[in-house]
Amino acid sequence: MKYIVDVEGTRVEVDLEGEHARVGTAAYLVHLSTIEGTPVQVVTIGDAVHRVVARRSGARGSYVLRVDGARYAVEALDERSRAIRDLSAAAEGARGPQPVVAPMPGLVVKVHVAVGDVVTAGQPVVAMEAMKMENELRAPSAGTVHAIRATPGSAVEKGAVLVELR
Amino acid sequence: MFNSLLIANRGEIALRIVRACRELGVRSVAVYSDADARAPHVREADAAVRLGPAPSSESYLKGDLLIEAAHRTGAEAIHPGYGFLSEREWFARAVRDAGLAWVGPPAEAIAAMGSKTAARQLAIAHDVPVVPGTTEALTDAIEAARIAQQFGYPVLLKAAAGGGGKGMRVVREPGAIAGALDSARREAQNAFGDDAVYIEKYIEGPRHVEIQVLADTHGRCISLGERECSIQRRHQKMIEEAPSIAVSAELRRAMGAAAVRAAKAAGYVNAGTCEFLLDRDGKFYFLEMNTRIQVEHPVTELVTGLDLVAWQIRIAAGERLPFTSSIDPRGWAIECRITSEDTANGFLPSTGRIDYLHAPGGPGVRWDSGVESGSEVGLHYDPMLAKLIVWAPNREQAIARMKRALEELVIDGVETSREFHLRVLADPEFRRGAFTIQWLEERLPTLLGTAASPAAIEAAAIAAAMIAHRDRGGVRGAPPTAGGVAERAWDRMARIDGHRA
Repeated sequence: MKYIVDVEGTRVEVDLEGEHARVGTAAYLVHLSTIEGTPVQVVTIGDAVHRVVARRSGARGSYVLRVDGARYAVEALDERSRAIRDLSAAAEGARGPQPVVAPMPGLVVKVHVAVGDVVTAGQPVVAMEAMKMENELRAPSAGTVHAIRATPGSAVEKGAVLVELR
Repeated sequence: MFNSLLIANRGEIALRIVRACRELGVRSVAVYSDADARAPHVREADAAVRLGPAPSSESYLKGDLLIEAAHRTGAEAIHPGYGFLSEREWFARAVRDAGLAWVGPPAEAIAAMGSKTAARQLAIAHDVPVVPGTTEALTDAIEAARIAQQFGYPVLLKAAAGGGGKGMRVVREPGAIAGALDSARREAQNAFGDDAVYIEKYIEGPRHVEIQVLADTHGRCISLGERECSIQRRHQKMIEEAPSIAVSAELRRAMGAAAVRAAKAAGYVNAGTCEFLLDRDGKFYFLEMNTRIQVEHPVTELVTGLDLVAWQIRIAAGERLPFTSSIDPRGWAIECRITSEDTANGFLPSTGRIDYLHAPGGPGVRWDSGVESGSEVGLHYDPMLAKLIVWAPNREQAIARMKRALEELVIDGVETSREFHLRVLADPEFRRGAFTIQWLEERLPTLLGTAASPAAIEAAAIAAAMIAHRDRGGVRGAPPTAGGVAERAWDRMARIDGHRA
């Protein structure tokens, strides 16, 4: 079966038939085994051994993979599912930018923007304190500040919408 | 020696002190908040006392409860660890007044070093160099030029009310000082409503280098050499080394002698650390003294062969130091602080349950941890989970060993700083030892932005395809990948609902 794998934004086509994997012109003998009692899986690709820890993140086929020393956000889908998800992502994009949400419970220290401000992707929008450390929360994408739901000094739960963008 | 000692702390340092107690044959008494009832430091101790609810202010910071717990359990001494009440003069005094031994310096020494300005005056009086600077606002450019000449260029103009770099100017030559003073004042006036500006010597390419001292109650005080702690983010140390690549044997002796002078001047007893800025030319300047055991003490232990925590307890029990002179380092040690921070995502704190933890092992590797598989990482305490420390004959081998150990480490369930450390260790400037205290923050975008190699991406893609294939039932009998904690709880609920139906 052919999988289209998105690795941190890079698309790689992996053709998987039993224990044979083909990427472009390269062909490998591959094997996946789990280590009992641990989340560690051993992936061998040819002679190379990789220790992999996978954690599902949201939709089917989406994982956070830790391969040896590095971490990757990946999405592995067959061609049909890939096409469907690309279409719905395009539709979502048309609905507008995602809001800024609290990634953990904590205290809102400061809101750097006002309604109507134009923000760029990655711009610090809200300062939050958790674990005695101040953290800047950044706009996930560019947009205009539509509403501010965060009040400095107030405690918020994980996932709370702090700033809505449009 | 004491029969019994109470440990007024939690996490990895509490476990570290429990271990020292057991080796010394001292009964250890742990304390805990409700969040830590099943923590390793509690389980490994000989006795344990509940203090109160999770917030520190209701548990680990309750001096009266700690002293009461010591009395109730028959402990004769209190070890404060680091953080919490370790540098509170009032607590050191209360412990002494309660007839207990304090594993740390006398309250008077904590007070003498507690205020930065008092410590600076003490240092100046005992010939310990400090960063030259004025304590009164500059009146005009002529005065500024006169003082700059005296300190030597470059100098730094600094707003009295300053912060965030506003009202700050580096001046490299006499001709630029008048203009710089005017603009610094204007900026300070606009930013803080106060145009008072000070002048101090500007330290070029400074490193944070600190000297560990050990002093007994019989008047002996020795230096155990330096630690290089320049790899910092927002004043939080991330990686420490001993020795420092920037310190020669001669400089080590000079800095050690200065640290011992400062410690003696403060009437210091027990383990302490003098922090210095070290400039590009090998000139050093005293900053402050930390009157407690430091997080990074293991790197000194590995290059000196001394157990610092055991010596803290032995000194508090009145033992004499058996060394007459300072100790030179042997080999190289590096420590990486493993924190529960999502370093790829602005170092946001990561919380949750550690579902699995595999600690590295093998030659020259030490793992000082306060957590294990099953530990909950919450928001109540410091995000440092553990310290990974390695020793090797030289720096290059120590870096290779640390890389190997970090690759062996697996922590599943919370995000950690592991990958960040691997990236720092791979950086050519870090490997050359070419860094200052500003290096990490300046280098972070490059460090975190480095893209994976095509070969690594291909391996990740193949692994992802195989795991996705298995999870959709493409491989018979293989267990599917677990999701996050919350997701699994939902799965469980769904299953229960399914059974009901």
